[in-house]
Amino acid sequence: MDSIQSVNLMLLIAAALVLIGIVSSLVARRFGAPLLFVFLVLGMVAGEDGPGGLVFNDYRATYLVGSFALAVILFDGGLRTRVSGLKGALAPSAALATLGVVVTAVIAGGAAWLVIDDLSPLEAWLVGSIVASTDAAAVFFLLRAGGLRLRGRIGTVLEMESSTNDPVAMFMTIALTEILLAGGQTATWVMLSRLAEQAAWGVAIGLGSGFAAVFVLNRIAMPTGLHPLFVVASAVLVYAVTSAAGGSGLLAVYLAGLVFGNRPVRAYPSIVGFHDAATWLCQIVMFLVLGLLVTPSSLVRYALPGLAVAVLLTLVARPAAVWLCLLPFRFDAKEKLFVSWVGLRGAVSIFLAAIPMLSGLSNAAVYFNVAFFVVLVSLLVQGWSINAVALRLGMALRRTTPSVHRTELDIPGQTGRELVGYPIVAESLVLLLSKLPEWARVLLVVRDNEILDGSRVKRLRAGDYAYFLVPPERVPRLDRIVSPSSDVTRRVAHLVGEFAINGDAVIGEIDRIYELGADEEDRGRTVDAFFGARLKAPPVPGQRQDLGKGTLVVRAVENGIVVRAGLLLEELVDDMIVAEPPRRRVSWPRPGRLRALLKRPRRPI
Amino acid sequence: MEIADLITADRVIANLRATSKKQALQDLARQAAQVTDVHERAIFDVLLERERLGTTGVGNGIAIPHGKLPNLDRLYGLFARLEEPIDFDSIDEQPVDLIFLLLAPESAGADHLKALARVSRLLRDKSVCEKLRATDNRDALYALLTEPSTSRAA
Repeated sequence: MDSIQSVNLMLLIAAALVLIGIVSSLVARRFGAPLLFVFLVLGMVAGEDGPGGLVFNDYRATYLVGSFALAVILFDGGLRTRVSGLKGALAPSAALATLGVVVTAVIAGGAAWLVIDDLSPLEAWLVGSIVASTDAAAVFFLLRAGGLRLRGRIGTVLEMESSTNDPVAMFMTIALTEILLAGGQTATWVMLSRLAEQAAWGVAIGLGSGFAAVFVLNRIAMPTGLHPLFVVASAVLVYAVTSAAGGSGLLAVYLAGLVFGNRPVRAYPSIVGFHDAATWLCQIVMFLVLGLLVTPSSLVRYALPGLAVAVLLTLVARPAAVWLCLLPFRFDAKEKLFVSWVGLRGAVSIFLAAIPMLSGLSNAAVYFNVAFFVVLVSLLVQGWSINAVALRLGMALRRTTPSVHRTELDIPGQTGRELVGYPIVAESLVLLLSKLPEWARVLLVVRDNEILDGSRVKRLRAGDYAYFLVPPERVPRLDRIVSPSSDVTRRVAHLVGEFAINGDAVIGEIDRIYELGADEEDRGRTVDAFFGARLKAPPVPGQRQDLGKGTLVVRAVENGIVVRAGLLLEELVDDMIVAEPPRRRVSWPRPGRLRALLKRPRRPI
Repeated sequence: MEIADLITADRVIANLRATSKKQALQDLARQAAQVTDVHERAIFDVLLERERLGTTGVGNGIAIPHGKLPNLDRLYGLFARLEEPIDFDSIDEQPVDLIFLLLAPESAGADHLKALARVSRLLRDKSVCEKLRATDNRDALYALLTEPSTSRAA
């Protein structure tokens, strides 16, 4: 009976920890504390030196949990990466993921050699290798869950880098551990050929199994609930098979996710939904376990060297590697600075530090504790500052935003379309557009508790709930168009070529210049009075009213009076939509065709 | 509507010297008067009237002052690159150093709007603006302005 009781106890503890993790995420969010750091600390608090007093020293179990969690997280990372967005990011991230890791490892190793006593150069290099790769879990987490939206290719480069650089770091760690265990030297070419083997197997199995999983999922009829499970199990299988075959499981599972997420598959919404939850759980469990594993009292002894390595890694090794690798790619200094700063270390480093520990290498405790300390510092300092730094360097597209609440409905079969629903709020970008992009169709609109046929709704309004039919690969774009953000609204309005109009400008004057065809009764009104007459409630920035062919948008309100508005001209808005066609694959129409496109009547929304 | 339909090389000013928004508009009005045969004062008044409705400083150091004149025979564009950026009361509070002036006949209607759209699309391309800022050669500026949009968009 005792063993049954202990199982119950274990379940109780595990569930309680996860629950505390979830609840503490709410608290953490309020204070802006980096969540992964909170999970890690929670694990430490529950551990042997904390009030929890749980003794957990099982490196094997940690390795198991970590492998599983990383497989799921990396698969999820691939799943959410759009191949269309990779262009221009591929080469820089590849450079960072290979050469960058080696450079970082060597410089960080040098730093470790300087600050930690009694380390041979080879051992110091091992420390450097352990902390050399940026952590996909942490990067994905901070870039996505944080609601941070980065400019241009920076976000993609960082995500790609973090998902593909683990193999090199892992390889160096394993190779160095083996060399140290053997107490001798291994020929360089043996190392290089094994690295190539890792990458080759990783790419081959990853891509192959990605396509295979898509094929199987689309061909075999499974009970609805099993699709997501099939995918998760496949991801773990890919990881395991590749690793067993001597390839890089992390690389393979990311690539499999990439293929999977960019092919039309059945039940995609439910798979993504499930993965959302699975990834969260893996993040929580992995960091909790890592926190449990460490012994804070022994960690303290390595505080000083750990801190020194962390500082040198962040301020010297990472920037040096970034500058070197991005040299040929025309990034400006701010972008390089930001990429340097987002060299987040995370679970992978701790995970790698477990390798020498499991192999029974002497000094293993040093590696583990230093790595742990580096991760702790990175999660805390970089994790906490990433949003501020992104804003400061002008990398962020907008402040943290509430992510768009999107409802996805699966359409049976493979129609190449997805049905997604969004709430339309006053700051939704879509309100600004006079026409929807051609790839999106409004199916139905819920307005004032009534369900309206989408084709009959001329314009979406704030407060609507609209269901769109879109190709799955366009959903992220639709997210952007529907997402509520004043920053985005302003930015795009700006791109559109919005003209500023003062609140006291008279409508008749505006109409004289732009020939919009304003109503007679509005001509004598000021812009403020115009909004006053049209809006039932006090004006709020973002509200819009048609003015003949154009549209006026409230931009600034003081004491209930509109002091500034923006004038959007239909021509300018059309111009923007045509100027941003589906990118890449379609060749750019010649100006003549462009005009023809403009004139083609499109269904208004 | 292409930029080349709006502007000629002799209507490009490579380094306009101005210390204020008013002075810049005055200078531009004078230059515009020479090509349009409309009185300088009339042009200046029309531009000023438009600025009173709200600034045409659209941000990123760019201003697109525009207005309508009764006696004009067609659309006229004028481009000026300022030697020193000036305060233009822009929506983003940034000083302005690139100005595209657009004058339209009284009943230009849709053409006026299309011309505005074309100009604002050209100037919201940051790389174009950077290149415009980097040169003070009139012919080079004209070439940049009228470069077909296909090569820019690709």
